[in-house]
Amino acid sequence: MASDSDFPNFNNGPSSPDDSIDNTFSSPADNSRVRRGRGGGRRRRSSTPAAYATPLASQSRFATPSDTPTTTPSRSHRRSNGRRPTTSPSSTDDIPVSSSEAGDDMDEATPTFVWGTNISVQDVKSAIQMFLKHFREKEVLLSGSETEIYKEGKYMRAINRVLEVEGECIDVDAHDVFDYDSDLYSKMVRYPLEVLAIFDIVLMDIVSLINPLFEKHVQVRIYNLKSSTSMRNLNPSDIEKMVSLKGMIIRCSSIIPEIREAIFSCLVCGYYSDPIVVDRGRINEPTTCLKQECLAKNSMTLVHNRCRFADKQIVRLQETPDQIPDGGTPNTVNLLMHDKLVDAGKPGDRVEVTGIYRAMSVRVGPAQRTVKSLFKTYIDCLHIKKTDKSRMLVDDAMGVDSGPPRIDEEIQFDEAKIEQLKELSKQPDIYETLTRSLAPNIWELDDVKKGLLCQLFGGNALKLPSGASFRGDINILLVGDPGTSKSQLLQYIHKLSPRGIYTSGRGSSAVGLTAYVSKDPETGETVLESGALVLSDRGICCIDEFDKMSENARSMLHEVMEQQTVSIAKAGIIASLNARTSVLACANPSGSRYNPRLSVIDNIHLPPTLLSRFDLIYLILDKADEQTDRRLAKHIVALHFENPESAEQGMVDLAILTAYMSYARKHIHPQLSDEAAEELTRGYVEMRRRGNFPGSSKKVITATPRQIESLIRLSEALARIRFSEWVEKHDVIEAFRLLEVAMQQSATDHSTGTIDMDLITTGVSASERMRRDNLVSATRNIIMEKMQLGGSSMRTLELLEELKKLSPGSELHLHDLRNALATLASEGFVVVHGDTVKRL
Amino acid sequence: MVGPQYDCQANPLGAVRLTFEKALASGLDPASFDGKDWGALDLFRQFLFDQGALSHVPILNATTIRWVQPNTLVRFRGMIQDMLGNELYVGAYKDGSVWRTNKFMDASQHPMGMVGSPPDMRIWERRLLYCVPVPGQSSWTESSSEVVMNSTSQQREKRRRMDDDASNHTDMVLDEECESSPSAKKMRENGSRSKDSKREGTSNMSTLTDVERNSLPCLIKIYDSPESELKLNDVFEFVGVLTLESDVIADKDDLDESSNGFFEDELVHLPSFKVPRIHCLIHRKLDVRDFLHNPSTIEPKPDLVKEIRESLLRHLTAVLGNDGIAAHFVLLHLLSRVHARVDNVAVGKLSLNLTSLSKESVSVFGNQLRCAVENLLPFTYCMPLTLEYLNTASLAPKKDYQTNRLIPGVLQLAEGSHLIIDETQLETGTLNSTGVENARLLKNLMEFQKVEYNFEYYKMEMTADIQLLVFSEGKSNIVPADLVIPFQPSSAVSFEVVPTEALEAWRWYLATVRSLPHSIESEMQKMVENDLVAARQADRSLGSQDFSRLLTMARLMSASFGETSLSLEHWQMVKELERLRRERLK
Repeated sequence: MASDSDFPNFNNGPSSPDDSIDNTFSSPADNSRVRRGRGGGRRRRSSTPAAYATPLASQSRFATPSDTPTTTPSRSHRRSNGRRPTTSPSSTDDIPVSSSEAGDDMDEATPTFVWGTNISVQDVKSAIQMFLKHFREKEVLLSGSETEIYKEGKYMRAINRVLEVEGECIDVDAHDVFDYDSDLYSKMVRYPLEVLAIFDIVLMDIVSLINPLFEKHVQVRIYNLKSSTSMRNLNPSDIEKMVSLKGMIIRCSSIIPEIREAIFSCLVCGYYSDPIVVDRGRINEPTTCLKQECLAKNSMTLVHNRCRFADKQIVRLQETPDQIPDGGTPNTVNLLMHDKLVDAGKPGDRVEVTGIYRAMSVRVGPAQRTVKSLFKTYIDCLHIKKTDKSRMLVDDAMGVDSGPPRIDEEIQFDEAKIEQLKELSKQPDIYETLTRSLAPNIWELDDVKKGLLCQLFGGNALKLPSGASFRGDINILLVGDPGTSKSQLLQYIHKLSPRGIYTSGRGSSAVGLTAYVSKDPETGETVLESGALVLSDRGICCIDEFDKMSENARSMLHEVMEQQTVSIAKAGIIASLNARTSVLACANPSGSRYNPRLSVIDNIHLPPTLLSRFDLIYLILDKADEQTDRRLAKHIVALHFENPESAEQGMVDLAILTAYMSYARKHIHPQLSDEAAEELTRGYVEMRRRGNFPGSSKKVITATPRQIESLIRLSEALARIRFSEWVEKHDVIEAFRLLEVAMQQSATDHSTGTIDMDLITTGVSASERMRRDNLVSATRNIIMEKMQLGGSSMRTLELLEELKKLSPGSELHLHDLRNALATLASEGFVVVHGDTVKRL
Repeated sequence: MVGPQYDCQANPLGAVRLTFEKALASGLDPASFDGKDWGALDLFRQFLFDQGALSHVPILNATTIRWVQPNTLVRFRGMIQDMLGNELYVGAYKDGSVWRTNKFMDASQHPMGMVGSPPDMRIWERRLLYCVPVPGQSSWTESSSEVVMNSTSQQREKRRRMDDDASNHTDMVLDEECESSPSAKKMRENGSRSKDSKREGTSNMSTLTDVERNSLPCLIKIYDSPESELKLNDVFEFVGVLTLESDVIADKDDLDESSNGFFEDELVHLPSFKVPRIHCLIHRKLDVRDFLHNPSTIEPKPDLVKEIRESLLRHLTAVLGNDGIAAHFVLLHLLSRVHARVDNVAVGKLSLNLTSLSKESVSVFGNQLRCAVENLLPFTYCMPLTLEYLNTASLAPKKDYQTNRLIPGVLQLAEGSHLIIDETQLETGTLNSTGVENARLLKNLMEFQKVEYNFEYYKMEMTADIQLLVFSEGKSNIVPADLVIPFQPSSAVSFEVVPTEALEAWRWYLATVRSLPHSIESEMQKMVENDLVAARQADRSLGSQDFSRLLTMARLMSASFGETSLSLEHWQMVKELERLRRERLK
C-alpha cells in the first residue's frame, strides 16, 4: 500500500466504488466471496471471516440474521472482465470454504449461503440454471404445439446467438424471471451483487458446455424490473438493491480508462512480472523484484502499454419534469457505466436505467484511511434503455393501420389504474363529466368543449391496402371575438394533449412549423431539423393567432392537415416526414369583432382551401345575452370569494383525465357497427338533400364528402370516450349534432338561414351568388334602357339611384354595383372609366 | 423550570449527544431512529420557544459571521434558492461498545477509523438546501436583528461570566431582555430615523447596494422533514448548528487527483469559508410580520386600522404629488397577493401600471415612490427596463449542469416581493433572442404569476407571487398590467420626513391586513353580480378580466379597512374609483 502515492493512477479515487471498500455500506457483498468480475468494480476482499464471527447483518435487510450459518462461497480466481480465459469456472467456484469461526452450529451438510442471509448459493444456482434452460415465453406455452415446446427456450437461443456473434452480454427481462420463479426474482432484487455473480457463473457454465473454446466472458444484463423507483425516493434502505429509474441524462464524463491488470518490469534485470490485478481499487506494486536471482528492492516500474484497461464513464441522470413535485428542483443521481454501456446515452436522452444503488464513503484525504461520515451514492449501471427510442420503435412496428397509439410512455398503466379508468368509463354520463372537467374555469362553450374532447380522443386512422390513407385526427378551428377565452382553451388543450406544441401564428414561419434543412457547421452534413408540426406528430399542434400567420406558412399546412406528412425537397435532402397531428387553431376576425353580416371567409381572411380541412369550425361569439353574463359574473365572484376547490363537483381531475385519454387512445379502436353505418348514410343523404328546396332552382351544398369523413372520425372519438369498441347509433347522432352546431355557427348563410358548405369551400354562399347575378342583370337592363350604344356616359352614382328606385326594399352598396359593372365590362357590354360608365 | 444540563446555545451538539445517550439508556435501539428524532428537537423547541431564547440566538449574516463561533447555535433567515438533493451519512455508529451519533455535524467527533460493518452503523439521510438572503431585502428588516444581535453579544459575555450559575441563567436573560428592550428600542428608532432621513436624499442607488451588501449564502442541512414542507423560493428561518469544515481543502486536492470524473459534488464549488453550513434543528416559515421590529400584538381594531390607513393614504398622496386617485390604487396594489390559483388564473394579483411618466418625472416621482415602497415592504426590487438590460440580463434562473447548480435569475424572488419595472427609459431598437425571451418572461409573470426556469433540456414553470408596479409613458405593452392609470400630479414633490412610529405602523398595517381572510355575504354577492351584469349589458367590451379586476379591488378595498367581508360601501368605492380611472383613460 506504500506505493499508492507513487502510482496515483492506480488509485481509482473517489470515482471508483472500490476504494476503501471496507467502508462501503455493502454488507453481504463485501464480505462474501461471491464476486462479480464484471464492471471491474467489485473484487475480493481479503479480510478473514473472523471479523464477522457474529454477523449482525443489517436488520433493515434481513430479519433473522443472527445465527445464520455463514459460509462464504469463494471463487479461487477472479474473472477479470471476460477477456481472460475462464478455465471451467464451475470447478473452482463455489467450493464451500468452511469458516469454522463463523458458525458454531455449522454442520457438514450445510449448503453454501450468501453471507448474512439464508439464501443458499446452490439453490440460487440451480434456479438460475432452470430459468435459463427452460424459460419459454407464455405465448409459446399457450400455443401448445409440441414442436414449440421441444424447441430451445428463449434464453438458450439468446445464448447461442451471443456465441455466434461473439457478443458479451445477454439481456434478461426481469419480467421473465418473475414469471418463471418469483422467488429468484425477489432474491435478485434484494441481493443483486451475489445473485448476478451466480448468474454469470451459471451462464459461463452453459457457455463452456456449448462451446468449450469460447473465450469471451458473457455477462447478464437485467432490465425491465417489475417496479421502478423514483429518484426522489431512493433512500438508505435501497442501498445494494437493484433499482430501476427513469430520468434524463444531463451530463456524461469523458471516457476514463480504468486499469484492470498491471504488469511491472524490473529496472535492474528487466524481468516482467505476472499481471497483477486490481485489488480494492489499488494495485499492489511489488516492492522487490520477483525474480529469485535479482530481488532488487524498489526496482519495479509499471509498463503502461502492457497493462489492460477498461472503459468507464460517469453519467449524471436527472429527474424528468413530470416527477418533480410542486416547488422542488429536479434531483440528480450519478451512474457508473462500464464497457459496453459507455456512451450508450447522450445528454438530453430520456432513459430507463436498471442498476444497483451503491454508496461509497468519502475519505478525508488521499493518503488517509479515515473517512468522513458522508457517503456518496451512485448507481452501478446494469442496463440502459432509451425510452424515447423505444416509443419510436413501437410506433413504427404498429404502423397506421393499428390505430394511432399516441400515448406518452411516461404514463404507466397498472392493473388498479386500468380498473379505475374502466370503472369511470362505465358511468352513464361520462361524456358530460369529461366535458365538464375540460377547462372548468371556462364556462359555457359546452359544444366547443365537446368538440375539443373528440379531438383529444381522436378517430381511427385508416390505411387501405391500395395505399390510400385516411387520417384519424380531428382538426378544429375556433374563430371568435377577442376576450372569449379562445387562447385559454388552447393553452388548456396544449397542457392536456400527449405531445402538444403551442405556437403563435405571428411568431411562426413555414420552416418553423414544418422542418428545415441546415448544414452542420462541423461536418458539413445537411441535417433536418423538425418544426412544430413534425414535433407534435401524434399529438395536437395548437396554433394561436392563426389569422396573423403569414400566407407562406399557412400554405404549408395544406399538406399536413390532409396528408399528414411534411415533404421536404431541398439542399440534397428529399424527405417526407410524418406529421400525424391534429391542428387546433384559433383566429380573430379580421375586423377585431366578428361581423355577422359577412361570411366566415370574409371575417377571418383564410383561404377556403385551408378552411375546408378543418373538421369543426366554431364561432365563439360574444352574444349580448344576460343569462350568459350572469353566469360569467357568478363564476368570477365565486372564483374570488369562495374556496375554488369546493366549487367544483362531479369532475375528473387533470391527471385522471390525461390517463383516461391515453388509455383510450392506446387500447380502444372502435369500429362502425352496421346500425351506425346505416345511420351515417341516412344522415348524410338527409344533409345533402336539405340543400334542395322544393321549387327552388338554386342548389345549396350542405355537405361534402369531407364532412362524412369528419363524421366518422367524430363518432369514433365519441365511442372511444365511452371505452366502447363499437360505434353505436347514438355516437353517430351526436357526431351529426356536433357537426351541425359547428356548421350552424360558421357555415350558416345569414341571408337565408340555411347551412351552406359553399361558404366554407368557396367563400361565397349560394344566395349571395344569386343576389349578385340578379344585380348584374338588373344593371344590364337599366343600362340597356337608359344608355345609347356608344352614346354619352353615365355616372355610377346615378346608376345606383336608378337601381334603388327599381327595388326600394333592398340594400344596395356602391361596392356591389362596381362588382356588377366589372362583370359587365368583362362581358364587353360596358366600359368603366373611373366613375363613368359607357355602353359599347 | 429545571435548568438545562447543557447550554443549548453555546454547545448544541452536547445537548444533542445528551439526548441521544438518554434515548439509548431508555432502551431504544439506534435502528429505530431511522429518519426520526429521538427527542433532541423537543429539547431545542422547548429552549427556543417555551423559554423564549429564540431572539437571543445570533442571526448569521456577513457581519456576524466574523465573530460567531462554530458549533454554536445560530439563526439564518433566507430564501431557498436551490436544492442540492440528499446526502447519506453515517448517522450512528458503534465506537467500541458505545453508540455514537453524527447527526447535526459534518465530521464525527470521535475517530471512526474502523467502522464499516453495517450492523455497527446506521446510515441516515439529510437534505441539502442552498439558501441566500432574501433578494431585495429592505434595510429596515435587518436593523432590528442587528440590535438584537448586539444585545445578545453583550449577554454572551455576561453569560460566560456567570456560567457556573447555569440554573437561573435563562430566567436572568429573560429579565434582562425586558429591562433592556425599551432602551434598545429607542436606540433603534434613532438609528433608523437617521438612516431614513439620509435615505430621502441619496436613495438613488440604494436598491442595488442593498442586494450586494448582505449576500452571505448558506448551506442548510435539513433532517427528517417531509419534502413538501420546504419549497423553492420560500423564506425560512433556520435555527441550527453552525459548522465550518476544516478539511475542505484536503478534500479538494483529493478530487483534483481524479478530476476526470465529476464524482465531486456541488459542494466543492461552495467552500465553507464562503458558504457556512448550518445543521438545521428547527426551521419555520417566515411571514412578513416576522420581519417587523415590534411584532407586537396590536389588535387589528377597526378604528386603529382606519386611522393608519388614512395616514398611509395621505403619505402616498404626498409622495405621488397630490394625486389622490393614484394613491388609492397604489394602496390597493400594495395589499395584493395571490390567494388562490384556479388552473392558469392567479386570483388576487393586482399589478399596476402608472402611465404618463416621462424620463424626467420618473426621476422625481418614480424615485420617491420607490423609496416609499422600500420603506414599507420587506422585499423590493427595481428593474430599469432598458433595451440593453432586456438584451443582456438573465431574468430566469438557469440550471448550470457543469456545477449542477441553479444559477439565480433576477426573477427568482421570494413570495410577496415587490417589483418595480421602470419602462420610461426604454427606447426603440431591436431585441435579440435573449431580449425576446426576457420580455416573454415578464409578460408571463404579469399574466399568470409564473416564472419559467430554464433547465436546458426542458423548462419548468414555478409559481410566483410578486407585486408588479410598472412606470411607463404610455400603456405598457411589454408588461400588460391589470390596472392602468395615468399619473396626474398636481403639485411638486413635497419633502416630508416620516416619523419612524408611523413607518412602523404602516408596515405592520400592510403585513397584517394583507393576510386577512375574506368572504362575501350571499346578499352582497347577488348585488355584485347584478352590477357586473348591468355593466356588461351597457358595455360589451367588458370581459372576465375586467370583472376579475373589479372583484380583486373590492376585496382589497374592504381588506384595507381591516374588514373581512365585502360591504356595499366599499363596493361602491371601488366602482367610483374605477369610474374615475376610466375617465382619466379617455
